[in-house]
Amino acid sequence: MSRATTIAVILACVLGLAGCGGGDADGKVTITFWDNNGGPGRTPVFQHLIAEFERAEPDIHVEYVGIPSSSVQQKYDTAIAGGATPDVGGVTTSYLSDLVGQDALAPLDDRLAGSPLRDKLLPSLVDDVRQAGGDHKLYELPSSANLDVIWYRKDWFAQAGLQPPSTWDELLADAARLTDRSANRYGYTVRGGAGSVFQLLSEAYSYSGQPSFFGADGTSTTAAPGNVDLVRRVAALYGKATPAADVNNGYTQMVAEFTGGSVAMMHHNLGSSGDLLKALGPDKVGAIPLPVGPSGKRTVVPNPTDGFAVFKAGEHQDAAWKFVQFLLSKDSNSYWNQQVGQIPANTDVYADAWLRADQPVEMALGVLRAKDTVLATAPFALPRFSPITKADSEPRYQKVLLGTLSANDFLHGLADELTAAERDWRSHKG
Amino acid sequence: MRDKGRFARLFLPLGAYLVVTLVPFYWMLVFAFRPTGSTALVPWPATLDHFRTVWTDLGFAVFFRNSAIVALGTLVVVCVLGLMGGYALARFAFRGRRAFLLALLCSQFVPGAMVLIPLFLVFKATHLLNSLQGLVIADSAAQLPLAVILMSGFVRGIPVDLEEAAMVDGCGRLRAFFAVVLPQLRPALVAVGSFAFIGSWNNFLFALMFSGRQDKFTLPVGLSYTLGEFTVDFGALAAGGMVAAVPVVLVFAVIQRFLVQGLTAGAVKG
Repeated sequence: MSRATTIAVILACVLGLAGCGGGDADGKVTITFWDNNGGPGRTPVFQHLIAEFERAEPDIHVEYVGIPSSSVQQKYDTAIAGGATPDVGGVTTSYLSDLVGQDALAPLDDRLAGSPLRDKLLPSLVDDVRQAGGDHKLYELPSSANLDVIWYRKDWFAQAGLQPPSTWDELLADAARLTDRSANRYGYTVRGGAGSVFQLLSEAYSYSGQPSFFGADGTSTTAAPGNVDLVRRVAALYGKATPAADVNNGYTQMVAEFTGGSVAMMHHNLGSSGDLLKALGPDKVGAIPLPVGPSGKRTVVPNPTDGFAVFKAGEHQDAAWKFVQFLLSKDSNSYWNQQVGQIPANTDVYADAWLRADQPVEMALGVLRAKDTVLATAPFALPRFSPITKADSEPRYQKVLLGTLSANDFLHGLADELTAAERDWRSHKG
Repeated sequence: MRDKGRFARLFLPLGAYLVVTLVPFYWMLVFAFRPTGSTALVPWPATLDHFRTVWTDLGFAVFFRNSAIVALGTLVVVCVLGLMGGYALARFAFRGRRAFLLALLCSQFVPGAMVLIPLFLVFKATHLLNSLQGLVIADSAAQLPLAVILMSGFVRGIPVDLEEAAMVDGCGRLRAFFAVVLPQLRPALVAVGSFAFIGSWNNFLFALMFSGRQDKFTLPVGLSYTLGEFTVDFGALAAGGMVAAVPVVLVFAVIQRFLVQGLTAGAVKG
């Protein structure tokens, strides 16, 4: 019996120890905030902002929870199904419609109309968020814009006596010239693995100048001749001016190749700015917009827009809204975007000195605000968009890179799927 | 000649296998200790910056403590209940025993993601969300069926005559169990316990989904912080990987002798 008692005591101790911890009972309102991309780059920034907020609003306590970005949608879905959502959540437009479809978010139109932020947020971002929600209501307040750019090695271009490319013709020629396979140096890196097709489409639309993903009748423009031409030309680079391993590249592998000194140019977005500058320094790394194609038109497919949403089930929605307003105020939005290297949504920030000194962000902001820039927003509200462009298409793009499927067949197949999904969705929406 | 043949047949393939197996660990070591931006193939000059980042900035100190509590709690619960269930299945004939065994086996084919929302609702109703006890219970529930199946095999391998002899000498069933059966089950407990410990130590899904508080997350959640949506901190990833892997490797190094004994016993006698 003594052994059984010993085991029971050990069990009780372990479970008792597991229960250590407690909550605050000091009468403050506590709201929970889920960061949708928790990690070493963002968590300290949010912790600083939360401390500032709590100083300004002593009756509100914010409990920060960092969620790994790869699992955030599943975490939200589980929390919604289980009725345990946070008060405020970081969300992006890529899964906004999924949350709206589950009736989890509170519309913010009325709150914004009565807020000092009313005319302060970049209109194109607010429009983008409205479109992504699916019913043109405002369920997310945008905090940052994130554009695709070409990161390039300034030192390699200078050594070769080249100027950064402004057209796709120049980029493809430079990629070939900067390749020295005997020295394990390549002019470009192709993303062939996870996330490849969305990135490829932003290249294709920048080349073709197509202004939107769908025509008025719901026909996908993905297989436009210019898009096919670009995919064919990029695929022709693979293995010649790119590492052979690129067929499996996600962004982590591309960044590793670039920071490891084996590629001269990489297409990614402003989000990788911190890693690249930390590894190589601003003297060696520069950013240029995605080049233009033969039409000369500047067409940009924006990345999903990051922002904050207030959850409907939260008990303290007024406090939650105060926190969202604080995060998007000039000072907070400026601090936030300076730290993460993205384009601020609050237009008052555009006069800040740091922004003019940050070449990639200033360049991207210039592209975003230029009058001749056309924004071809990806149809994130289309429920089948993500599965079609990821699980269905990414393996097929690998076949294009390996030469077993033509660019034409690949894009026509993709266009047919998108057209069917868009028409089906339109018919359901009425 | 004989030595050369032995080298070619035995040590050469083993050496090649070891190189392939150990390269990822060497990669982890290099990235964990070399400074950001370095492309050196050896971790020199070494820096502890990445360990400082994960331990302090990312909160691995808390995650490590939570992982240790949850994994040890799971180990204890699974060993105790696995022992009881395994003994009952091995020694008692009761109605529905085969069906029960089959149900235990079938439970292994259900992916964790499928039971996520039902478990979430149960935990919410019983106030076990955001607690380490909840994680111990969830991990134990996931590990227990296999533990019971394995343990029943081990118990069946111990001759029932030994227990009967003890009972003839005046022991009750419980005393006979502790005096005769339990000492022989030590390798089995090591095998079952190590499976439970490692399964719980590595469990990402339950740890993320059943906790809505930063101070209740475990190491696998902390590790996934290093892979952001647009950024990846290879140094922190490797340092975090070492922090997470070293205890498991040490546990294996200490218990591997018992583990092999336990698995062999189960395989031959079960």
